[in-house]
Amino acid sequence: MWWYLRARLILWLLRGAWRLLRWAALAAILAAAAPLTIVAALAFVAAWLRGWPPARLRRAAAWALPMTAVYLAGRGLQAASWHTFALAPVHDWEAAWHQVSAGRAVTAFALTAPVAVPAGLVMASWLWAWRIYVIENGLSGKTATAPVVFDARQWRRAARVARGRVTAPGTFPLATRTGRVVMGATIRAVGARWRPVCAVPYQAMGRHQVVIGSSGCGKTNLMMRTWAGWYAAALQACTREGAARPLLIVLDCKGGPDARVKAARTRKLLHATGARRVAIWPDEAALSLWDLPPAQLAVTLFQLIESGTGPAAYYADVTQAVVTLAVAAPPGPPASAAGFLARLDEGWLQAAYAGDAGALGGVAAAQRGLADVALRYRTLLSRLGPGLNGPGALGDADAWYFILEGTREQSVAEAQAKALTELVAHAATSSGTEPRAILLACDDYSAVSGRVPLWDLYERGRSLGIGVQVSAQSWQGLGRDDDERRRICATADGGIWLMRTPYPQPVCELAGTRRVIETATKVIGGMWGDEGSSRVQHAWTVDPGIARRLEVGQAGYIRAGGCTWVQIARPKPSPLPLPAPPPAPEAVVIPAAREQARPAAVSSGAGDLDDVFGQEARR
Amino acid sequence: MTSPDPFAVLGLPARADLPDDEVRNAWRRIASATHPDREDGGDPARYAEASGAYTVLRTAWGRSEACADLTTPPERAIPPPVIGDVRPGLSPWRLAVLLPARVRHGRPGRLTVRMAAAIVVALLAWHSGAGTPPIAALFTGIATWLALTARGDLAPPPGR
Repeated sequence: MWWYLRARLILWLLRGAWRLLRWAALAAILAAAAPLTIVAALAFVAAWLRGWPPARLRRAAAWALPMTAVYLAGRGLQAASWHTFALAPVHDWEAAWHQVSAGRAVTAFALTAPVAVPAGLVMASWLWAWRIYVIENGLSGKTATAPVVFDARQWRRAARVARGRVTAPGTFPLATRTGRVVMGATIRAVGARWRPVCAVPYQAMGRHQVVIGSSGCGKTNLMMRTWAGWYAAALQACTREGAARPLLIVLDCKGGPDARVKAARTRKLLHATGARRVAIWPDEAALSLWDLPPAQLAVTLFQLIESGTGPAAYYADVTQAVVTLAVAAPPGPPASAAGFLARLDEGWLQAAYAGDAGALGGVAAAQRGLADVALRYRTLLSRLGPGLNGPGALGDADAWYFILEGTREQSVAEAQAKALTELVAHAATSSGTEPRAILLACDDYSAVSGRVPLWDLYERGRSLGIGVQVSAQSWQGLGRDDDERRRICATADGGIWLMRTPYPQPVCELAGTRRVIETATKVIGGMWGDEGSSRVQHAWTVDPGIARRLEVGQAGYIRAGGCTWVQIARPKPSPLPLPAPPPAPEAVVIPAAREQARPAAVSSGAGDLDDVFGQEARR
Repeated sequence: MTSPDPFAVLGLPARADLPDDEVRNAWRRIASATHPDREDGGDPARYAEASGAYTVLRTAWGRSEACADLTTPPERAIPPPVIGDVRPGLSPWRLAVLLPARVRHGRPGRLTVRMAAAIVVALLAWHSGAGTPPIAALFTGIATWLALTARGDLAPPPGR
């Protein structure tokens, strides 16, 4: 018995001594490498307190390398041989100890810093990465809830630091020299490369993007930053590389006084980035719907009118036939709303189509419905207002801010949205005008998506080379059904901006999962024991819990299976004035206007129209 | 549209942290004195102006926006567009010329503190007697740190 107890005691003492020896050896190494230890410890604590990821420390180490390079170059110039050069850091290290013992800490610091600073930062990054790993995987921490507490604390700290950073004016211009749109300070990156400043290539802004965020979460701020940043970067590309001049088109689909305030602020931002004319429609500028090609104009005019199904389909067909006859008449398309309405008359149509037996037959067949069709269009065009009756074309301005009263007059706003999207499509495909890089941004588009479903807008944008950015207050606001919403988000190859929303799950599902280690801890006697098991599990790349708790101005940028959580910086342009523009080029080729070829609205002639207007007038 | 300073219209100090009640009370005070339904006819213009200002300032976000707008310099006159006309890029020389203006419009206080810290560390290194290579290395490190961090204290160049 005594022999057994003695053996156990010796074994315990031996184990204790071995453990003590190991700690002593570690302490000796740390003391010997004191400068490195101090730098690593300080960096570790800083990363813990400020919620930095290990990448932040590695970046700092990389930026410290020029210092090491200068030090080595200097020592290389002084050294007589390779052997002396190789041992120079060791000699400086030894000399630093002597300086410390002599009470000259500053000299010791100067001797060791060129090597200790980058090496210490790298070491701290490894230690910090290891600490995060063991905590997240349940291998460390005093309680089983340690991973949750650690994650929440680090998020709070990172968010606080990011909020502080966005106040720095120079760190967050609207666009960088390299053509990236600066969005804000990175809080956390999951499955994406961490950079202190989140900047998106402007080309990504020119593709499809989706913004989802409930009211009051800072969505407007984010969108304005993307618009102004895209404009600034695209204008830089135009100046430097000869790329197409940018044209920003914003559809504010809710309207009201807030829309005017937003429009004014957007205009101010765009002016400071180099935009000359920012048109606000319909308050200050107008467009001409009648500039559309005849076939497109006929289809658009027909689609502006509500058409029912069942027996109503017959009247829809009659309406379409009448509109086509009026628009595609031999004298050319109408030049204004008044001109179009004047054509919805039997006498005008008969005169215009004199000699064309087939068309005259159509006019005779549609005769009974002509008055009704005219009445409907008179009502519609008067409700649409003068905003679409010209004069004006999209190419006249650098940016257009369209205010559609989607909340107050939904049916009118839907018709206006339809007409405007047709005009945008025409501007993108028209061969006679200057090619422009177009970004079409639709704020709360669901308010006016009756005539042009969002999915249709997306598809058209893709085929025409127009970047489309849409925003909605919720997942449900993106489309009529889940299929449509998923298709919109799945094709957003420019990325999805997710802000605070109570139902983020579908977007989180689209962002995909990442593999994590899930550790189960065994409970022994009402306490968490040190036994358990681990297994590989899948976790959301975009945590829905974070998306629900986001504060004002925080957003997640989801792209390519990764998510970067960002504190969006308030868009504020440079206060410095732009340089004076260069003189205008001498030869400016402006495409011939169609107005010159247009006839008077009604002609009483019956077959001599070609003599009056010439064959060129026919389209 | 409202007056350029909605705070002044409602007789409030231009502060983003004003409570909702204070803004609402200020508007109600003016509205009750100028409403067109008053027996004396009120002051419709003043009422409209105050209502417009209240629309801007009724939310905390709106107040912060208005405050920020007040600090933004007034809009420049924008010349009409010219087809094919694009503004020239900024040369390094022009960026150097703009530096004083960027400092002035940035955060000069922080920049001064940063510069002072860099100078103090540089002087300490200079007088440490550690030899030329370590001192030159420290100067490089200080310059790198200053270049990386001071950028944030400068206003962005024009157009960005």
